[in-house]
Amino acid sequence: MSDTVQWDKTVSDVNEGILKGVEGRPHPTYYIALVFALTLLAIGITGWGLIISFGIGLSGKSSPVYWGTFITDFVFWVGIGHAGTLISAILFLFRAKWRNSINRSAEAMTVFAVITAGLFPLIHMGRVWNGFWTLPLPNTNNMWVNFRSPLLWDVFAISTYLTVSLLFWYMGLVPDIASLRDRVKGFKRFVYGILSLGWTGNIRQWHHYETGYGFLAALSTPLVLSVHSIVSWDFAMALQPGWHTTIFPPYFVAGAILSGCAMVYNLVVPVRKMFRLEGFIKEEHLEACLKLTLLTSTIVAYAYAIEFFVAWYSGNYYEWAIFKGRATGPYSFYFWTMTFCNCVFPLLLWSRKIRYNIPVAMVICFLINIGMWFERYNIVISSLAEDFLPGSWGHYEPSIIDMCMTFGSFGWFFTWFLIFTKFFPFVSMSELKLIMPKPLRRKPTH
Amino acid sequence: MERLEFDELDKLSEQKEVFAPDATFEAPVKNIGKGHLFMAVEEVMPEIGATDLEVSGEIAESKGKGYPIARRDVMRLFSASAILGATACVKRPAEKIVPYVNQPIDFAPGNPVYYATTCNECPAACGVVVKTREGRPTKLEGGPEHPVSQGALCAIGQASIQSLYHPERHKSPLFQTNGHAKELSWEAAFDRIGAIVKGSKKVGIITKGSTGSQRKFYAEFLTKIGSKSENVFTWDANGLYSSISEAHRLAFGVEGLPRLELARASTIVGIGSDILDVGTSVVYHSKGLSQALSIKGLEKGELVQFEAVMSLTGGRADKRHVIPVGSELATTLLLVRALHEKTAAKGSKGARAVIASVLDANKGALDQAYDVIGVKKEVFEALAHKMLEKPSVLVAGGTASFDENATSLQVAGIFANILLGAYGSILNFDKGWSASPVKAGDMKRFVEASPDLDVVFVIGTDPSFSLPASYGFSEALTKVKTIISIQNFPAEVDRLAEFILPADHYLETWGDEEPVSGFLSIRQPAVRTTVNSRQPEEMLMWIAASAGAPMGYADYRTYLSAQWKSYYEMAGAKVDYETFVKAVLRRGFIGKLDTRTVGDLIDVKISLTLPESGLKLVAPFDHRLRDGSFAHIPILQEVGDGMTTIAWDSWIAINPNTCRKLGLKRNDVIRVEGPGGFFEGAVFPLPGLHPDAIVAPRGNGHTDKRSTISNGVGFNPLAAFSKAEDKVTGQPVTSGQKVKLSLVGKTYRLAAMQKHHDIGNRSDIIRTTSLATLANEGREKDLDSVPDLYPDILQRGDYRWGMSVDLSKCTGCGACMTACSLENNVAQIGREQILLGREMHWIRLDRYFNGEVDSPGVTFQPVMCQQCNHAPCEAVCPVLATTHDDEGINAMTYNRCVGTRYCGNACPYKVRRFNWWTYKWNTMGEKERDRNIKALNPDVTVRTRGVMEKCNFCVGRLRDAKLSAKERSKEFGREFRVQDSDVKTACQQTCPSDAITFGDLKNPGSGISKLRRDPRAYLLLGGFPEEKEYGLKTMPNVSYLMKVGADNESVAGSEGTQAPKHG
Repeated sequence: MSDTVQWDKTVSDVNEGILKGVEGRPHPTYYIALVFALTLLAIGITGWGLIISFGIGLSGKSSPVYWGTFITDFVFWVGIGHAGTLISAILFLFRAKWRNSINRSAEAMTVFAVITAGLFPLIHMGRVWNGFWTLPLPNTNNMWVNFRSPLLWDVFAISTYLTVSLLFWYMGLVPDIASLRDRVKGFKRFVYGILSLGWTGNIRQWHHYETGYGFLAALSTPLVLSVHSIVSWDFAMALQPGWHTTIFPPYFVAGAILSGCAMVYNLVVPVRKMFRLEGFIKEEHLEACLKLTLLTSTIVAYAYAIEFFVAWYSGNYYEWAIFKGRATGPYSFYFWTMTFCNCVFPLLLWSRKIRYNIPVAMVICFLINIGMWFERYNIVISSLAEDFLPGSWGHYEPSIIDMCMTFGSFGWFFTWFLIFTKFFPFVSMSELKLIMPKPLRRKPTH
Repeated sequence: MERLEFDELDKLSEQKEVFAPDATFEAPVKNIGKGHLFMAVEEVMPEIGATDLEVSGEIAESKGKGYPIARRDVMRLFSASAILGATACVKRPAEKIVPYVNQPIDFAPGNPVYYATTCNECPAACGVVVKTREGRPTKLEGGPEHPVSQGALCAIGQASIQSLYHPERHKSPLFQTNGHAKELSWEAAFDRIGAIVKGSKKVGIITKGSTGSQRKFYAEFLTKIGSKSENVFTWDANGLYSSISEAHRLAFGVEGLPRLELARASTIVGIGSDILDVGTSVVYHSKGLSQALSIKGLEKGELVQFEAVMSLTGGRADKRHVIPVGSELATTLLLVRALHEKTAAKGSKGARAVIASVLDANKGALDQAYDVIGVKKEVFEALAHKMLEKPSVLVAGGTASFDENATSLQVAGIFANILLGAYGSILNFDKGWSASPVKAGDMKRFVEASPDLDVVFVIGTDPSFSLPASYGFSEALTKVKTIISIQNFPAEVDRLAEFILPADHYLETWGDEEPVSGFLSIRQPAVRTTVNSRQPEEMLMWIAASAGAPMGYADYRTYLSAQWKSYYEMAGAKVDYETFVKAVLRRGFIGKLDTRTVGDLIDVKISLTLPESGLKLVAPFDHRLRDGSFAHIPILQEVGDGMTTIAWDSWIAINPNTCRKLGLKRNDVIRVEGPGGFFEGAVFPLPGLHPDAIVAPRGNGHTDKRSTISNGVGFNPLAAFSKAEDKVTGQPVTSGQKVKLSLVGKTYRLAAMQKHHDIGNRSDIIRTTSLATLANEGREKDLDSVPDLYPDILQRGDYRWGMSVDLSKCTGCGACMTACSLENNVAQIGREQILLGREMHWIRLDRYFNGEVDSPGVTFQPVMCQQCNHAPCEAVCPVLATTHDDEGINAMTYNRCVGTRYCGNACPYKVRRFNWWTYKWNTMGEKERDRNIKALNPDVTVRTRGVMEKCNFCVGRLRDAKLSAKERSKEFGREFRVQDSDVKTACQQTCPSDAITFGDLKNPGSGISKLRRDPRAYLLLGGFPEEKEYGLKTMPNVSYLMKVGADNESVAGSEGTQAPKHG
């Protein structure tokens, strides 16, 4: 695909074009976005403060819906964090060239999304001040953790994933930070100098860098599959009808990549405008991302269908009741939102015209993100609300605090993301140079 | 300090059978014979040494078999008497109990001390054992040997601990002028009231119903100060007492309530009856009914109910017929006619002639009645036939049928029971009848006499609230110059009072009740007054003294002591009187049933008018809040109504079909306009109501701002009633007046704990069977032989605790929920939180309707933690806060919980409860009020915010029992195991229907082991092990017993064959 890219910039434009945003002033919309993100963040911080001060009762949860939007948000953000590693690691190993222009943003998204996701189990906890008890810390009371609990697996999965993604992302940044260091002066130079870890760009460093990068890519690859599989086990390991199914791990991974790709698209397009990177992130790259979105959307659609089929085919009354309830019960709005956003609207992407129509594609990707949020909402809430004994059934509606925390998490994520775009190169310059045309190609003389 | 006479106690311990290690288990399977429930005094107190009292054959027999008395109960009584002997009998318990600088020698801090006393919340007078810790009552339990309560207690009795410690009790005497209250000292109050009383002489007393010496004392007080002794006016909003008593006066010429021994009946027909909701003695009747309806071999009693409302009694019924409001009398007479036509009918010639004349006089109306009430003649014929075959009884009337004919209905009931031959066996009116706690027509008399009265004492009752405004009580009261309100809790009548004197709670007072004639139940203080209150009778003594007419008693106990002398003489005890009283106090009761000669049926007339059609209002008692006297008790508000599961609210229940016709939806606020006024409330469509019945429960609607708990909750449906009275007793009509409904245009969310009523086709949750199926296919079950990767899980530990819940017995009364909450310090959270679905009950009552909307079958299913052996919750907790112990209990370590709530999700029974807020002792409902930490059980942790909690089989009680077995083992040098009789969970202990059984599954002879092998046993969501289908395979230690109908049609719904499977 990158073969057909119509480049109008050359390698020599890279440093100048990409670092312009870092050194100079971005488009004013950047500041508007930052203020907006900070406002949301403030809402989130207030919400969490209230929860810690007064109790988790501020959220809309109850018996039997013990989990609500916090877990929805958790799964959503872990899912978002997925595409980054997929794009940077798996596509790196497959040598898909189109990734080079968006891998930095995807990795940054991964890191911030996982950090965001990691907050939610804490927000969700009844006694967050004892949250460290979920870590296997040796102590004099001989209190230990339960290795049978999927939540504990989560702790390990998320922390491993965060560590590896962080390393991978940072390692890719080092050469670019060094370029930045060489262009700035004073205090900035000092900071970038430390962050660049003494990178000089000599051939030995490049040699080690390439080897290490390859290793990390190989190491990250299984994580792409494992993290969301483990997250899915939070549900699949419980007896709850609607949760207790074996399709969950692949279904969750596919869903995660779908939402991740859609989110990458949603993030890259505006930032590309703000930092005037149109010359480096080409329409063709974005289109490639949409193709991956389309692919995973069809996998997700298949998973939805299979889930229903198995619920019916199993003859398990309770399972089938949950699925019937999802489609027709009190939460059917969310179900149909999910179905249309994740399975129907993405079908438009079969059209090449739409794939190249950035505003329309933006809307589709936005809808996919909404749909994926509702998918998790559906799984968490509709399965819990009406399970085995009708006598204990309940209902869940998010409270104001629940919504505050959801919006706050977007604020938290975007704040980090926007800070990143301002201070670090948004496109991996060193990797971009690999796929861009050379500036002075002399014609061979005979 | 006086030492108690240990040798006296030793005499009791000589009864070796008392210590029988494994007492006979299930009460219902025993033969219930005459006289069983009312024991003779010498049986329980041999030291009295009476020889000339009659000992019935059954008692002698039961001695031979091993008397089913729990060892712990004896220990309790020992300790109770120890303390009583040392303190209570001589003087009140010492004021400063903690710290014990000089600790009494027989008292160890941390060990509970038990007192036997008598409940005063309704006139049924159940015996209560009060558990006190370091001088503070912490829990009430039914007196195990008390014949009325038989160990059980209703929700109200359980909850009275919260009214004792209620923070809103008056703290000192008040003097009120123009709405301003001024605190007074007791001396000043007595002086001023004494002066007023001295000047006037026209004094009256309005008091609550009581069967004890109280009324006699009030009469003596009135005589002493120069007033008339007739000026004692008794009032109980439960008109059953007066109407039954009056009906018997009309029918036989003597007053009283027959003692109803339901246990001896085989077919019980209730017509508008609410014996399981309110009735006249709800615990006693629940016990009796439970025994009557339990399965004995291949037989089982049957309860047939005719009613317009949906009562718990109707829910429990095997067959239920819906009849129009106000047609109870017609229905009863139709049954009387059917019985009368049968040759097998009993009754003397004279009685039959009287009945025949009544039937003839109403022939025209009766012929039309079949169509009006919508029940076919054949139904009555068949029922009459069945009733005459076996011992049967008809129970008529309840709080939902207080209309003009309430007493006539009772007379008709008497007719039926004469024809059934129930008198003398099931209904005892000649031997050990109950005297009516209230005198019929007293309130009417007061309203007429009020202009002649100058001073009125209102003691322990609140007619201002519990009488309809149209009755004119409050207007009558305002005509009185001085009103003195003596209440243990602020009441609406306080508003009108000049003096408000805080009275002791019944746990702080002396008193007595005579629930059955000749049988004395003693009330003694279990604690010194907790607020600055006094015993009402002693206040009267002081007032009499201030008025210059001292009554001549040092205190009320002296007065009572003089009253009890007759029992001493009757018992013919060889010991001196003081010892006798001590012995009686130890047990709490004494008695020998009085006998009298009752003549034949007197010529009595009934005129029947058939009810017209049209919407009619019925205002029955809420079974928890009764007439409203208990609305200030948070746990009772929180337990919720059994049938609707609505908590902290009043509701207007209407048949769903009527709702549809009138365009009403759930939660729509409507205005109910009756002849006397109107009220507004939210609609709750309730299946099983007669289409014309508009049912609004009483109990809530307090607007007096005297209790923040009850203030503003719900509405008082009495506002709609115009003045109408029972033709005989003068009791106000609270049922059957025509109303108009109109939409207000608002909605109000009713806090129903259960959101879904229909079980759909999930018939494996509630399983039903029939006697025929049991006879043909009933095999012993083996619920525990499940293929399992961890077979040793059932083998570990010395014990394996299990519980069994009999769905055939549960009536949905909520006593278990109350007992559980009080035992385990479960928080009350209030309406807002219940609306969110955050109720904290460790045991909940799921109520399912099945069948048609107009006549549904109702099943109650108590669901507590199932204590799964493969608990889904245990596997998922990341921090091991919930783990399995060696005794099969799914334990919860509150301190370790971080609140991920994953366990709550994983639990398929959804029995886990989460502390969403800081539900500490300072929260009473959503209203911040100090619940007073004294009311908490010191053995159980108070959980903090962010922590999961759930039923743990009362693990503290288990620990106590194991420790005591260990001590015994040490003492006797051989191993003692905890036996069935040694330990009871709070819910099991208080269940008035004996639906819950608990014990050790490792002991193959224990009651629980037998019930787990019972052909009816099944595990909730446990599939069908006999078909190699194991459901969720959680392997719970709680099993359920299938609901059984008397015949196949009795229990609506499928028989579990098409039950869903799950993989």
